[in-house]
Parts: sequence; C-alpha cells; structure tokens
Amino acid sequence: MISKNQIAFKNLFRKKARTLLTLVGIMLSSWVLVSLLGFNRGYENALNHDIENMGYQLMVMAKGCPYEAATMMLQGGTGLRYIEQSMADSIMKEPEVAKVTPILMQAFFDPNKGTSGGIAGYFGVDPATFPAMKPFFRFRQGGWFRDPSAAEAVMGYEAAELEQREVGDMILVPEKNVQLKVVGIMERTGSQDDGTIFVPLKTLQKISGIDKITTIGIKVNKDADTAELENKLYKLQDVQVVSFSQVKQTIMKLISTARVMVLSIAVIAIIIAMVGVINTILMSVLERMQEIGILKTMGAMPWDIFRLVWTETLILCACGGIAGIGLAVTFARATDVLVRRILPYAPSGGLVAIDARLALLTLAIIVTVGLLSGLYPAWKAGRVRPLESIRREG
Amino acid sequence: MENSIRMNIQRMTNLIFQSLLLFLSTAMPAFAAVGCDLNDPDRDVARLFPDSSGYRTFYASIDKRGGEPLLRKVEKRLGDKFHGIYETIDVPYTVYEVYSGKKKVGYIHGVNQKGQFGGIQVFVALDLEGQIKSFYIQKMTSQWANKLRDPKFGRQFMGLTLKDIEKYDPVTGKGPGRVADLKNPAPEAETDFRAALRALKKNLVLMDEFVFSAKGGNP
Repeated sequence: MISKNQIAFKNLFRKKARTLLTLVGIMLSSWVLVSLLGFNRGYENALNHDIENMGYQLMVMAKGCPYEAATMMLQGGTGLRYIEQSMADSIMKEPEVAKVTPILMQAFFDPNKGTSGGIAGYFGVDPATFPAMKPFFRFRQGGWFRDPSAAEAVMGYEAAELEQREVGDMILVPEKNVQLKVVGIMERTGSQDDGTIFVPLKTLQKISGIDKITTIGIKVNKDADTAELENKLYKLQDVQVVSFSQVKQTIMKLISTARVMVLSIAVIAIIIAMVGVINTILMSVLERMQEIGILKTMGAMPWDIFRLVWTETLILCACGGIAGIGLAVTFARATDVLVRRILPYAPSGGLVAIDARLALLTLAIIVTVGLLSGLYPAWKAGRVRPLESIRREG
Repeated sequence: MENSIRMNIQRMTNLIFQSLLLFLSTAMPAFAAVGCDLNDPDRDVARLFPDSSGYRTFYASIDKRGGEPLLRKVEKRLGDKFHGIYETIDVPYTVYEVYSGKKKVGYIHGVNQKGQFGGIQVFVALDLEGQIKSFYIQKMTSQWANKLRDPKFGRQFMGLTLKDIEKYDPVTGKGPGRVADLKNPAPEAETDFRAALRALKKNLVLMDEFVFSAKGGNP
C-alpha cells in the first residue's frame, strides 16, 4: 500500500518545474544562511588562531612604528623608529607580565627580485625568550639557533620554499652581503610566521648597525589584569601599546557591519523562499480540490489531509535545505576566496567553518520556517468540503 | 510510479552524497609544492612578447601528466635527479600561452631552481617551435646576480632550442655545441651560473613534455 509520504512525493513530481523552482529558492536561502553562520564562527576562530599564534597578547613599540612597519615592507627599512632594549627588562618587572621578548624588524632592498626589486624582511629575535613564546612551533628540519650571536637563520616554511633552502644552506642578506647559515626550517603554522626569516637579535643588530629594537612582545600572566598593565605601559615615554584583544575587537566591529548586511540579505532570501513555498503548496492544493474532496468522501479526516499537505512542505524544505547546505559545504572554499577578496583584513585559516551542528541548525531553521509557511495551505486543504469541491471542479 | 519515486529519492541521495565527497576532497589542506609564476603577468608578457595582445594560463604537473614514469623520463632527459624538498613531482608549473589577437604566438614558462644563496626563477619565452625568444631570471639572490640578470647575459640564449641543450650535463656543468659557447659573466658565481643552465634545461624538457610533445601539440 502506498504511504502518505509517497503520495506527497508523487504530488510534488506532478509539477516538476514549479517544485524545482521552489526547491532552488529554498536551496539558495539555505546556502546563504549556513554560509553566513559558518562565516560568523570561522572568522572569529581564524582571528583567535592568528592572535594566539602571535604568542604574546601585547606589543610595545616606538610611537608611529606600526605605520612605519607597514611602509617598511613597501619601501625598505628607512625611517624606522627604535626603542631601547633595556625597556624590555623594566617591563618584565611588572607583576602582570609573564614573559617578554625583544624583537628587531629590519628590511633590506633586494634589487634582484623581479624587474624593479623587492624587500627582504628579517626578524631579529632573542633565542633565550622568543622560542618560549611560540611553543607551538614545530621544525620540519633542524632547530633554533645554537648561539645568541651566531650567523644563522631559521626560516618559516614559505620563506624556505621560495628560497629553496634546506638546513645547511646559506642565505645572503641583500644590501649588506652578509651570509647566514640556515639551521632550521619550520613546519607551516598558517600564520605570517610562515613567510618570516628569523635571525638572532644580536646578529641582526650587528648586520644593521643598530643596538636598539623595534618591538617588545609581552605575554601576560593568566589571571592578570591586562587593562591595568596597558595603562601602566601607556605611561612609558614615546611608546605605543598594541593589545591584540583590542585589535580583535576593532576587527570584529568592522566585520559586524558587513555581517548585519549579509544577515539581512539572508533573512530576505528566506522570506522570498517561504513565499515561494506558500505559493507552490497553495497552488497545488487549489489544483487538487476535487481529489481532496474525493479523499474526504472516502473517509479521510481533515487532519489526514492537513498532514499530507504539510508533508509536501516538509519534503520541499528538507530537500532544499539539505541541497543548500551541501552547496555551501562544497563551495566553502570558493566562498572563502570571495570573502577574502572583499574584506579589508582576513586572518589565515578557513573563514567559513561549517560543521554538522551548524548544518543541522540551519536545516532546523529552514524546516521550521517552511512548516510555518505550509500551515495556511495545509489548513485550507483540511477544511475543504467534499461535495462542494467535487461539484465546483466537476 | 512507486519505482519512479524511489529512483528520484535515490538520485537525490546520491547527489547529496557526491557533494559531500567532493567537499571532503576539496577541504583537505592543500599544502602542495610552490610553482613559479610571473610577478606581474600583464606587464611581463607584454615585455617578453611585445607584439602580443593577451595570454592564457594553464597549469601542469608531472604528477598529473604522467606520475612516476614521467618523473623518471624527465630526470633522464635532464641528466639529473630531482632533489631537495621543493623539487617534487607535484610542483604545479604555470604555462602562459601568449596570443596576438586570436593567434597563438608563443609560450612563457618558468621554473624554480635552488641557487647558492636562494631560489632562482628562470623564465623563457618560446615561439611555437620551442625556440627561445627571451631568457629572463626573475629572481636570484647573489652578490653577482646583477650580472646574471643582465639582458646581455640573457641574449646569449636567444635562438636556442631543447636540441641545443639536450647534451648539457647539469652534474658536471659541461655540454657540447652552442652550450659550450655560453659565457658566464660572473666566474665567482659559477654555482649560480650552472644552476641557471640546469633550470633552463629543466624548463625546456618540461615544456617539451607538457606542450610540444603533447598529442597534436595541444597541451
């Protein structure tokens, strides 16, 4: 005997084009919704991952330095501002501070990159304190420097790949023509460290003829009051403090505007899709008045008819929802690429994180809203008077 | 009718399942080897082919074009093993097909090569017969890089074909004929000079495998 579900399927296949168009509408709204929810989660995860991978929560640098650091990457190390290395020791004395590490950023112009030259950036780090800030670093080959003033370098994976370097190979610091031996190549971290060349701080200071530093990385004690520490650091002369929690908040604020806009589009898409559902099911009910009347004369109760019509809605919404989620999952990477092109800043790692829970949540939303949309047509079908309907259509 | 409904359900389930499989295969971390692209393709293509009006790119890798047997063949033709952690079977090579109007006029192809102090990127512009129109070292880290990147050095390679460099041995750095006449403008940078020649031979062998020996000349 044919079941109610099969009858519902059969009814939907009667008007294939109409059903397909409704399905496409539901599918698109489900795609937009799950991608948006996935983006919400993915972006924050990726941002947190990037911030955690920094190894420190606060950075202290000379006033104006962040802007100069950016121009350094574009134009070379001219005009960089420096701070005394002794400042790291005084910051370390603060009770909120767990660890500090001094860093010197330098960039040298390499005329033999491309047609008009390029910049080669180096990070001078203290072998005694920097590795402890990045315990998650894993080496593909070799390890950290053996001596705080050794003529050695550790390369991020992508830097090593671009330069085709292996442990034991030499690299040449452009402009200065200083040779450094590669002693370590890292595994990928998915962060900006992948493209970095690390050199012992003293070595880079010697190469560039500077005895100062550009940055101090600060790791705060677990339960310490970071805001209190920030206030203390702001009192230091000619420095500025960059807090990654502030950076995160600022970025998230910027992103939230875009999120609200996309969410509005998703809501509109869902409303349009649901109007489509009401239209499809209602048309289907109106076209089958005679049939429904006959079913009733054969003993079908209003609740049976209601369930039959509601099942059609359920099938439409479930299929459209699943297909939309499938598309969102399939094209998550493409969405990722698209979002990266649009956003002014995108952290490394996947920006659209769709998992089973999120997929089920989206499906639940689509099905619930769909079933609500199907209430009226189902109620109308349940209320059909058998004789009237048979007479009207006959 | 019942069968048709079942078939439709089956089809839909298959479609969803296939989509999920596709997702799983595309969502795997793609940490493939790095290829060699022009820094500024629009500008570089116009510079290497002044009469060109546009270009199209396609990607080829030994892995996808023939796997291990092709790798062995390429190594044999090159006269050297692929070595290092970056010269691998899955390196994606970018081939630029250059057009003048609708007519294809040549190719540009680059390869990465390990140099003494860093990666060297050697590009060649080839006509449709595989003859070098232009030789260009996009990137090289060396005290003497300016000499090897000098257009005067590059001009020595104009008109060469794979046939001219086929017998060059990248291990000993020796070869007969026109290769023997190639002058190293920086004797101090012999390692990088040899690396550039190895890269050139690898470049031409790969172009022959990916393009010129491909069925009907269509890559």
